[in-house]
Amino acid sequence: MKARWDLILIPSFVLSFMLMAASQIIFLRASFYKDLGLGRQGEDIVFTNYGRFFTDEFYLDVLWLTIQVSFLAMLFTLVFGFPVAYMIARLRSRWAMILLAGIVISTFITIVIKVFGIYIMFSASGIVNQTLMGLGILDRPWTVIGNDAGVVVGLMHFTLGFGVLVLYSVVQTIPRSLEEAAQIHGSSRWRVWARVIVPLSLPGVTVSALMIFNMCMGAFTSAALLGGGRVFTLPVLIQRVVIMEVKYSMGGTLAAVLLISVLLINLLSIYLMTRMRKQRLVIT
Amino acid sequence: MTISTPAATSAPNGARRRPGFHFPTGKVSFYGFCSLSYIFLLSPLVVVVGASLHRGTRYTVVKFPPEDLSLYWYTQIPDAHWEALTLSFGLAFMASMLACVVGIPAALGLVRSNIPLKGLFSSIFRAPLQIPSIVTGVAFLQMYYLFGDLTGLYVNGTFAGLLLGHLFVGIPYVVGTVGAVLQRFDTRLEEAAQSLGAGRITTFRRVTLPVIMPGVYAGGLYAFMVSFGDVPISIFLSAPGFVTFPVELFYGMENDFNPSVLASSTLVILFSLGLLLLMQRIVGLENLLRSGGGS
Repeated sequence: MKARWDLILIPSFVLSFMLMAASQIIFLRASFYKDLGLGRQGEDIVFTNYGRFFTDEFYLDVLWLTIQVSFLAMLFTLVFGFPVAYMIARLRSRWAMILLAGIVISTFITIVIKVFGIYIMFSASGIVNQTLMGLGILDRPWTVIGNDAGVVVGLMHFTLGFGVLVLYSVVQTIPRSLEEAAQIHGSSRWRVWARVIVPLSLPGVTVSALMIFNMCMGAFTSAALLGGGRVFTLPVLIQRVVIMEVKYSMGGTLAAVLLISVLLINLLSIYLMTRMRKQRLVIT
Repeated sequence: MTISTPAATSAPNGARRRPGFHFPTGKVSFYGFCSLSYIFLLSPLVVVVGASLHRGTRYTVVKFPPEDLSLYWYTQIPDAHWEALTLSFGLAFMASMLACVVGIPAALGLVRSNIPLKGLFSSIFRAPLQIPSIVTGVAFLQMYYLFGDLTGLYVNGTFAGLLLGHLFVGIPYVVGTVGAVLQRFDTRLEEAAQSLGAGRITTFRRVTLPVIMPGVYAGGLYAFMVSFGDVPISIFLSAPGFVTFPVELFYGMENDFNPSVLASSTLVILFSLGLLLLMQRIVGLENLLRSGGGS
């Protein structure tokens, strides 16, 4: 008597597939309609929205800004996240679990609440500005709310915890014995980093970087709140166009551009992964 | 940026080390650098909890560190927050339960069947995680409008509408975590149970389910937390007066600022901590992470 596992799969698959296909097809189709105002849409397939997106400088600037802040947030996430991931992966004591728990806690709490904390810290009378002015580093209050720097900080709050967890699994694939071997043969710790740790983790880090970049491109909440209504990344603009301007088709077009950029980066990431697997650069 | 490996500094036979006392500059600055990330990630939470305890007068209501300690703002949490919290909790609970109902058979089917194009099937299950949430929100809203136009039944702004959207992003977590556990599953356990006379259902209930339970808990927890903290999907699918807690906070931040939001936020932080601790007790943190939440 053999269980028919393929039959068990069907109901779940149908539900997941229907939800995905229906929602994606409907919104992609609607992105070719024309907005007639007040939320009404035309019925004909036209390329007006896409034409506007790729000719209007405003939209192109938004896309470019989204790419820039995502890239910066990704870079900082790697720079700050990798050492933490390395440290946790190499700790032998129960501290490793405690430190991991700290990361998990921060990723589990909704970003809106964390933004409250950032608001309070960076307010004019907040702890950051009081300290920096008290030390004489700043003579005027400085804030991250409502500027590009703030958006990068917000994106990092979204990605750093996740980044550490992903990079942690990357570091775990590097056997500790390789580092010890390099040390026994006289490598300084700098040399161990330069010749062992970095080269061996590079493939995994590249794929992680693409994942983090993708998360940043699609991040809405932190970008919207720390942009303070003045900085528009693509996701922030989508919400505004749909909810405030009730232009569903233009919103759909923006969403389609975002979706396609993210999918392209994903394909690149999958391509790199398979190539690395073939060259046996990653141990999975 | 000075980086050292902890192993390098403590290795007694590490080369090029001068004898005598050696202040571990590299080690200290490495740990110092790592602690920056923790300060960055955790300080906003500490600040919210701290500031919620400050009573203050009208113009200095938000202060960290708190000086005028009191639980005053906890008594001022408006009804709208309690309603939003109840909705968020119910939604996250239902979404994670249903994600398990849909996700467990999916994982079993994906891992154990011999269907062709398995990779394609599993990437379709994983797809909702690749689609940015804001796109999912827009797409579901348009789908609900079209469905409403066709049938006269508009589900946007209803519990069912929100639930379907949250379920959509919750399923991949359960499929991922349960699938990861199943891949390590020793099928001889089931064969043993069946050869001892257990039926298929008994085998599943008494052998398979207990073994995959850590994966179910982990996936369910991820689905719960993703739903509980979501803004970009809920913001499109909720209606005025019927919003989830994060969306309520999101709109509240754009309008007036009342310190009672810090109090309700603190309750959410404590609740999330409690849930994580409970899960850690049940399955262990290692299981939560190893079963692949990042997938």
